[in-house]
Amino acid sequence: MNHRFCQIIFFLAAVFCLFFAGAAAAAPTEIRIADSNGDWGYPNPYRHYPRGPGYIRMSMVFDTLIWKDEKGAIPALALSWDYQPESQSWVFKLRDGVKWHDGQPFTAQDVVFTVKYMQEHPYSWIRLNKIASCEASGPLQVTIKLKEPYAPFLSFMETMPILPEHVWNKIDEPKKYEGMDSFIGTGPYKFINFDKVKGSYLFEAFPDYYLGRPKIDRLIYIRADDPIFALLTGKADLVGIEPNMAAMLKGKGMTVIEDKRSWNRKLMINHHKEPFSNKKFRHALAYSINRQELIDKGHQGFGTVASCGLLSPDHEFYNPQTPTYEYSPAKAGQLLTELGYSKGADGFFSKDGKLLTVHLLASAMGSTDRDGEIIRQQLEKAGIKVDLQNMEKTAADSKIMNWDFDLAVSGHGGLLGDAVLLNRLLGDDQSAGSINSARYQVSEELGKLFKAQVREMDKEKRRQLVWKIQEIAADELPALPLYYPKAMSAYNPAKGVQWQYTPGGVGNGVPTPQNKIFLVR
Amino acid sequence: MQLRSSGRRRSRRTDLLLTCALSALLMIWMSHALPRLLPGDFVTAMYASSEDVILSAEQEAELRAYYSREAGFGQYLLRLAKLDWGYSYAFMAPVSELFFKALPWTLLLLLSANLIAAVIGFIAGVEAASRRNSGLERGLVSLSTIMEGIPEICTGVLLLAVFSLWLGWFPSSGAETAYAELSFSGWLLDVLHHLTLPLLSLVLAYLPGNFLLTRTSMVMVIRQPYIRTAQAKGLSAARIRYAHAARNCLLPLVTRFGMRLAFMVTGALVVERIHSYPGVGTLLFNAIRLRDLPVIQTVVLISSLMVLAAMTSLEFVYGWLDPRVKEGR
Repeated sequence: MNHRFCQIIFFLAAVFCLFFAGAAAAAPTEIRIADSNGDWGYPNPYRHYPRGPGYIRMSMVFDTLIWKDEKGAIPALALSWDYQPESQSWVFKLRDGVKWHDGQPFTAQDVVFTVKYMQEHPYSWIRLNKIASCEASGPLQVTIKLKEPYAPFLSFMETMPILPEHVWNKIDEPKKYEGMDSFIGTGPYKFINFDKVKGSYLFEAFPDYYLGRPKIDRLIYIRADDPIFALLTGKADLVGIEPNMAAMLKGKGMTVIEDKRSWNRKLMINHHKEPFSNKKFRHALAYSINRQELIDKGHQGFGTVASCGLLSPDHEFYNPQTPTYEYSPAKAGQLLTELGYSKGADGFFSKDGKLLTVHLLASAMGSTDRDGEIIRQQLEKAGIKVDLQNMEKTAADSKIMNWDFDLAVSGHGGLLGDAVLLNRLLGDDQSAGSINSARYQVSEELGKLFKAQVREMDKEKRRQLVWKIQEIAADELPALPLYYPKAMSAYNPAKGVQWQYTPGGVGNGVPTPQNKIFLVR
Repeated sequence: MQLRSSGRRRSRRTDLLLTCALSALLMIWMSHALPRLLPGDFVTAMYASSEDVILSAEQEAELRAYYSREAGFGQYLLRLAKLDWGYSYAFMAPVSELFFKALPWTLLLLLSANLIAAVIGFIAGVEAASRRNSGLERGLVSLSTIMEGIPEICTGVLLLAVFSLWLGWFPSSGAETAYAELSFSGWLLDVLHHLTLPLLSLVLAYLPGNFLLTRTSMVMVIRQPYIRTAQAKGLSAARIRYAHAARNCLLPLVTRFGMRLAFMVTGALVVERIHSYPGVGTLLFNAIRLRDLPVIQTVVLISSLMVLAAMTSLEFVYGWLDPRVKEGR
């Protein structure tokens, strides 16, 4: 009897275990990612917002030829790539057996089509104007011939999403096309839904992904005004955080990761205008500003002083010998005296009876940002009267764009991307990235170096050119990089995904741990 | 005499409607002109400040031209006449679709908050006034006066900290669990669960004012001789309080309620923002941030027209609530 009873218990226990094991296997695994904005546009190349989070959502659906993981470039749709200097061509050998989300096979023709389509309908993240021709040189091989040697080309291939020809060949107005087939990619996730008002996205794993079925079944993005709340209450599994929250979150069992320095706070200087057009005056400004104090007082010490050559110290082409300006009001005073200014009894400089006054424009980075106020105090301590104006970001941006300012506290990221960023952020006057660019065309030497560095295909030689650019930029000082704030994210390790930041950023430099490769591996 | 009076009333009504129509036209013009005064435009907000975007000057100019096609007021009027509210730059969707997706959440939040705050405030006000000078009344008045001074941004954050972060009872953001695939009753519970904190923030913001207003007018009313008459007739205390006295306190409360409803569309902007509630306030906030003109115009227009509609309908509700208003005309 007793034996019988044991048997029944054992049998019931076995059924119970099987039932729950089955239930556990059936429940889809999920990752939820929160940010405070929510909506970043539809996840296809022509309808996502031209911002990092928009690109990242799109990258879950669309693949590139080359991708990056935590160590650097890895094969994606292309298995290998090779430069042939004699013909100025890149040859990409493509992966076999890749499928689009609708089951169609991916071919070399899709890549050729994408390049042509994006030349006709520019995708704002890349520029394909250096391409002379693009053709399929085999069923799984594409040859792209350049008009001239162009070093940043590969970084564009790490960014350019490949479109299915069989869908896009009938789309004339990609910005307006709303069909669901415009979300057919080869990526690890299929796009299911975007709720514009709630700012939420749903993606589902693509079982036929070429690296195997993603380990997480559903990827969900949500809007949360305070993402840390969402993380702590279990509503989100990965969020960006303020660095002062790191210790508390670690204590609660979260994993905190830190990014390399890729975003800088920058003081824009209107070098079109007297006295800012004088290099000596710009140097005096730099000596008057205590950048370490900005970090300590304004950001609880979470940051590092920026390199005046703009490239991040974490960049492979960073020049450690870039000139810098240690805080020294005395040196600033000396320079101003050399420029004909004299200090009055009130401690302020003036020239020809006119008080030296500068207009400082500031737009806050967050609710606790006091950078504008601290810079005002520092400049006034050095004898420069400051008229500070705080403005909402887009309002300030449009003033900067129209050169309607003296000094402006601004900031931007992307400092770990291809070194072509120096051309764009120091010199370019023509591109729409102009708000973040110093738009400095006074130095002929810089102009020549900009052209030379993008044509130089030898890495070491290019490094020398980029080093020189940083030296000159730091001396000319068309804008003053202030500091790199610490950038951190936190995630719930129990969810089974180990997130990491990608060196140089995802795509052409998005500073985020949300790299699709970690959802696959 | 009778004829003259009704004629006067009719002309008064025509005047009112005429004024309304003129105001509406002015509001339409303002909704077109005001958002345009915002410094910066969509291309600046969306493209030019992104370090990732690589556009040539021509491409940027093309974008600018693309987004400033519908510049004239005439075109705007024509479009509105066709009930076409335009196409959102940022969301790449018709504005009407966005607006009507956001509106139910705002209505749910604001209507329930206003109703709860009005009912509780009214009853508490009436009861407090009839217990004049008691400890309870004094306590409630002091508490409400303090509460009235605390803005909803403050209560909202405090509620979040206590009930969401510390106790973990309620979610901190959103109107429902995204893509939860629940049954209908499960979904309803989920919505209520998400609604609680933003609703509470608003009720706490509206309640003290309603309470103080009702109490004050009730205190005035119960001094009136007709209340003493009612008492002398031997009516029950509750009947006197509600049927005789409180009815006359409704007027100011209804005015307040109406005005709150008028600000329905944008009234919860701060609370919606704190709790990431997907209502019209959040929609407007994001639209302004991105200089999404068609969305800003629509929200501004509809919210201002709602103020107008509320004011006009209040005129009629007064007459029904309190015949003295109608007779006084």
